[in-house]
Amino acid sequence: MLKLALAQIDCELCDKQKNLDKLERATKEAQKNGADLLVLPELSLTGYLIKDRVYELAEPIPGPAISRVARIAKESGLHIVFGMPEAHNQDRGILFNTAVLVKPDGGIEKYQKVYLPTHSVFDEKRYFRPGNRITTFKTNIGTIGVCICYDLYFPEVCRILKLKGADLIVAISASPITRKKYFEALTLTRALENTVPLVFVNRVGFEEGLQFWGGSRILTPMGETEAVAKDREELLFGEVDFHETMAAEVAIPTIRDARLELLEELKNSFENF
Amino acid sequence: MAVHASLQRKDPRSAYICRIYSNYRKHCICRGDSVLSIKDVKGGFEILKLTPEVLELNLSDVENKIKDFIQDYLAKTSAKGVVLGLSGGVDSATAAALCSLALGGKRVLGLILPEKETYNPKDVEDAMLVAEKFGLETRMCDITPILESFYQTIPNFDPSDKICKGNIKARTRMVMVYYFANKENRLVCGSSDKSEAMLGYFTKWGDAAADFSPILDLYKTQVRKLALHLGLPKNIASKPSTPALWPNQTAEQELGLDYETLDLVLYGLERFIPPENIAKQLQKDPRLVEAVKRRVELNEHKRQMPLAIKLQYRTIGADFRLPR
Repeated sequence: MLKLALAQIDCELCDKQKNLDKLERATKEAQKNGADLLVLPELSLTGYLIKDRVYELAEPIPGPAISRVARIAKESGLHIVFGMPEAHNQDRGILFNTAVLVKPDGGIEKYQKVYLPTHSVFDEKRYFRPGNRITTFKTNIGTIGVCICYDLYFPEVCRILKLKGADLIVAISASPITRKKYFEALTLTRALENTVPLVFVNRVGFEEGLQFWGGSRILTPMGETEAVAKDREELLFGEVDFHETMAAEVAIPTIRDARLELLEELKNSFENF
Repeated sequence: MAVHASLQRKDPRSAYICRIYSNYRKHCICRGDSVLSIKDVKGGFEILKLTPEVLELNLSDVENKIKDFIQDYLAKTSAKGVVLGLSGGVDSATAAALCSLALGGKRVLGLILPEKETYNPKDVEDAMLVAEKFGLETRMCDITPILESFYQTIPNFDPSDKICKGNIKARTRMVMVYYFANKENRLVCGSSDKSEAMLGYFTKWGDAAADFSPILDLYKTQVRKLALHLGLPKNIASKPSTPALWPNQTAEQELGLDYETLDLVLYGLERFIPPENIAKQLQKDPRLVEAVKRRVELNEHKRQMPLAIKLQYRTIGADFRLPR
């Protein structure tokens, strides 16, 4: 059994210290409740609509923010996943929308968002370089796959994570309320079609005129929705039973039945579109 | 990556260059225990040096570009000409001169709008001088009666609140300028410069309200140089800036820095130079630079459409983007 803490938080725009204070408080609360893994939303270090200020706020990994979170993880014994704007180590102008997994033993893993939304109110390709790697991370609480927000619109991301051995997919988000219906469907679908537990943690609060809808939740490999948060700040707790995954794989054998020839067909169809 | 023994001794908030020597030399820019960037010395890059030279422009080039811009924009609208407020200060004088050079003085209307409390005959004289030199049409109107009407009509009006009272003047002038724009089919030319715009040193929907703003991308000190280049008299080009919302108000006193320094700070902030570095280069208190940065950030609301909550597919001011 993996005990999860979902920190559905509002963020102080551009104030890293205040957001790290929030993270620290959430960790303490999570620790009291016996959680193994604490998850915070996309870009929760700085807030989402930071626009040009991303250049001064982004940090390399490792860096000062990571150092602080590593200390918090070590003291509490929790694994922590949170989002931050990452600066390239050598080239300050190159940035990534990154989710970081911080382990209590000091290990740091990161995932750079592959699918960057650049439509409607989203302008991520203006600021961030797309990530190129979809990998899972081995930890002593299981193998974890991470994806961010828009990645959920693309079935291949979660499928690759499942195929690379993910016991759990952690999906962090800063999703506005106009997208609620889509994410409710997509989080459910990604868990179901890959028979993998998925934990979704989203922002709440307003940035300019944009309201984030919260709705953080846990999806089971059988497509059940558990532990759903509303649209305010909340620290939600839930559990994942990895045994359920096997039962799901037997009952909904999509991984077993997947046909590689059709993937070839998919690729050709895209190329000829 | 090599560990920097020198890191522990450094102020964690300042950016600095520390040299690591391993097999070959590198320049490494750090802040605290965070490495910002590493480059080979040969490949070499430096943090931008903030000296007055960086603000230098090819003034003929700038003049021509702005003239083209004004002509082009007017041609695309059905407007017959342009109207602007002429205060006798360098910004409106420069904007007026540019409009005149672009369109011909006859198509430019300068409104001289003095009021009793801040009246200075020299300023009116200077405004008339600019009008004459550049062949502008002018109209003079003492707005004091309008202001007094406001003071008498506003319930519980507080005459001691300088800012509230002063903003009425700026917004009244806006009303005057837009009247003539409406009546005579003119575009309103704004006189805001980049320094004021960045600092939010203007009245929201007041003196900054305009249809186009030819010097909005020039810092104050650059505007002064352009003014001289265009043939405006020296006394106007070097006149201390003031929004003239209350007597003896000057920009530099209020902002706490002279524009020569301020423009370099703003230029540095524009280019993402860390504030600590700006402060170090200009030998100013870093808290002062931080205060300027904060001021620029806090005043973004003055530079945008009113904030709306997104409820539907495309929202004005957010993602409903039509070309102008």
